[in-house]
Amino acid sequence: MDLNGDGHIDILSGSYSRQGTAMAGLLQVLHGKGKGEFGLATPLAGSDGEPLIIQPRNGESDDSVLDQICTRPFAADLDGDGNLDLVVGNFRGTFAVFAGESGGKFAAQNTWLERDGEPLSVPAHGDPCLVDWDRDGDLDLFSGSGEGGAFWFENVGTKTAPAWSERRTLVASTKSPNAFSSDARFGDDHITGPQRSTRIWIDDVDGDGLLDVLLGDSFIVLAPAKGLELAEAEKRYAEWCKQYDEAAKAEDEKALDRLWKEREKLVAMQSTGSVWLLRQLPPAGATETRGQER
Amino acid sequence: MLTTVCSAVTLLTPATCPQEPTPPRFEAAVAIATPAGPVRLEQPGFAAPCLFDVDGDGRRDLVVGQFAGGKIKIYRSTGQAKFAAGKWLEVGGKPAEVPGVW
Repeated sequence: MDLNGDGHIDILSGSYSRQGTAMAGLLQVLHGKGKGEFGLATPLAGSDGEPLIIQPRNGESDDSVLDQICTRPFAADLDGDGNLDLVVGNFRGTFAVFAGESGGKFAAQNTWLERDGEPLSVPAHGDPCLVDWDRDGDLDLFSGSGEGGAFWFENVGTKTAPAWSERRTLVASTKSPNAFSSDARFGDDHITGPQRSTRIWIDDVDGDGLLDVLLGDSFIVLAPAKGLELAEAEKRYAEWCKQYDEAAKAEDEKALDRLWKEREKLVAMQSTGSVWLLRQLPPAGATETRGQER
Repeated sequence: MLTTVCSAVTLLTPATCPQEPTPPRFEAAVAIATPAGPVRLEQPGFAAPCLFDVDGDGRRDLVVGQFAGGKIKIYRSTGQAKFAAGKWLEVGGKPAEVPGVW
């Protein structure tokens, strides 16, 4: 999106937190300069000149930082007033809104996307993407999630007065065991779909007139530690996971510390992320056509 | 009287019942790959994809943010939803970094 209205696409990013001061994920923009060139990342400021920071929904509390970190912004004109607004996901899985003002500015104070007075939410790591999915003229809300999969909230209001449905599942969360469970699998042959900490982008990727889904994710690939055969590593690691789980439930910090050091003798862990394309199919009974690449 | 009562009654038929939207259907997920192999990020991952035409050739490129260093990789479109090997987005000759990602 063109945040500053200079005719060049800009890159908008969230961040997990910031160094040196109270935890909060600033919103960063790399302004486009044309011809595929961009400027350095700079914090996005509100109309008060200060960096935009999500204010906790319920004021300061023990966990209010969850409203402020792990931000993921999306710019769209949510209320049809001609100004881009910022919808920002966070660690908690809720969605803050910084209303757009004229001149490419944004309100310093945020509000929240709500339904019946309660915040819209996904299971951690809110990741908003707004698009008119049902082609009724208003923007619907989509999100990845820390637990994987993707969710959506239909805009059942209007272009200028959004209102939201209950949360619906768009893509089911992965059923793959996580890397710290006793049934964890080695290698990556079993990674056949989006895993956890998903980030969503919706677009007609293949040009057939139907919106498709791109999901980025994060996952851990296990390999036997040096000197161990696969079968032995699998057996010993399964036992290690059980012991670690028991120590965690007992809150035995000494055992957890010891076990964590032993882990390196059993497995090598490599975490990474992929991007997955989920191509939408026509409704049942409709004829499928392939369009031109856009 | 009877006419008035009939006109005041809404017949509940399938056409008038409020319906949940039909859930969309998708093909099985396919990992985006390039001639250099599947898209794989530096540790710890957390891929954040989007599509836009970076180089102005009329085709939307795949742009993927990652957690490590807040770096961004661009996979230029080669047409038909296919992409070339990725290169880091650079500013001033060095990979651009979004601060505070880690």
